[in-house]
Amino acid sequence: MKRLVAILELLWAAVNVVIAYLFITNAFVAKTAIKEGLPAQAALLLGGTLIGIFAVMLAWQSLQILRAPGATEGSR
Amino acid sequence: MGTAARWVLVLAGLAILAAGAYVSFAQAGSGAQPWDPELSDNFVFMRVLPFVVGLGVVVGLFRAGSRTAAMRRGDQVRRFSTGTILGHWIVTVGFLLALPTGLWQYLGGILSQDVPAPGGQALLDLFQAVPLYWFYRLHYIGAALILFSVATFAAYWWANGDRSLWPPRGEWRRHLAGFAQELPPSLGARLAAWLRLDLDQRPQARRFTFYETAFSFPTWTFALVLITITGLVKAMRYIYPVPGPVLYWASTLHVAAMVLLTLKVLDHLRYTLARWPFMVAMTRGWVSESALRRVLDTTSRPGPRQAEPTLPAGAPAGVAGGSER
Repeated sequence: MKRLVAILELLWAAVNVVIAYLFITNAFVAKTAIKEGLPAQAALLLGGTLIGIFAVMLAWQSLQILRAPGATEGSR
Repeated sequence: MGTAARWVLVLAGLAILAAGAYVSFAQAGSGAQPWDPELSDNFVFMRVLPFVVGLGVVVGLFRAGSRTAAMRRGDQVRRFSTGTILGHWIVTVGFLLALPTGLWQYLGGILSQDVPAPGGQALLDLFQAVPLYWFYRLHYIGAALILFSVATFAAYWWANGDRSLWPPRGEWRRHLAGFAQELPPSLGARLAAWLRLDLDQRPQARRFTFYETAFSFPTWTFALVLITITGLVKAMRYIYPVPGPVLYWASTLHVAAMVLLTLKVLDHLRYTLARWPFMVAMTRGWVSESALRRVLDTTSRPGPRQAEPTLPAGAPAGVAGGSER
């Protein structure tokens, strides 16, 4: 069960990496700068970066579980 | 309040919701309205929502009245009641529906520019076959589930006085100090210096970790309140004239709350996956007290271990791990 949950969370993290990528790339698209301005670009960049970092942390945690399912706290 | 009276209250809430939903759907489906599917869904959502929240409140009051004492079976303690588990999974399904569809509505806007970002056009093409109103429809269903669950929990906690997920009055600094100690040392030291926290004291977590009480639950509350208020302002704009600047800020803050909730979900999944007994407790309700105690201790006291208080076998559950929430 723990492995199944880890796989599902890994998939969720992967989807969020794509979202982070789209946020960050769109922060640098000319139309965003023209239409929305600098604050929107900064918000997209910050939001995308944070989502990317949190998604990588979740992916890392999931991979650790897949490598060693007994490694979590309280699982001994 | 007696069991029969509480059941009458819930059945009345259900009946009123059913009547309200019937009237809303009947009007939308009569063919007499000039609305497109997107606008029609918006009207149905806004009209049904008060009944959904009302049902959530009566279910919460029902649950508060039937709250039972904490229980123990050998090493197993009851950490969450069936109602709490159901409420948690209802809100989970709500997030699974509302977050991706909300992100798609937002991303759709920024992807469908003249020159989409690399990969953006491929994504737009992939979902081209799905009518846009379906994203809104699922978003509204997800939002209704979340609001039902939030109303249930709010009424339940208000009625039974349970504040275990919130630091008690005058104990915020103790909880923040505990939270700083649960963080990686470099990050925790910075937070402690910034907030002038005393890290020499090593408070012991009780039912929940300090990460949950001092950081996670308050930020969940903030994000949910923000997305609810801004979402309601956005959704009601077709039935009530909302001033332009108010709508602009509601839309901006709704997106900000969406990003915050996206981060919260990722963080919550990471945190609980690393602490498997928490996952078990939120699925079965029951959890091994020794496993739970180990998680609480290793999380709240990552440094040199101190002597642990031992609990007599007959001690009431809830002191160490069970909470029957």
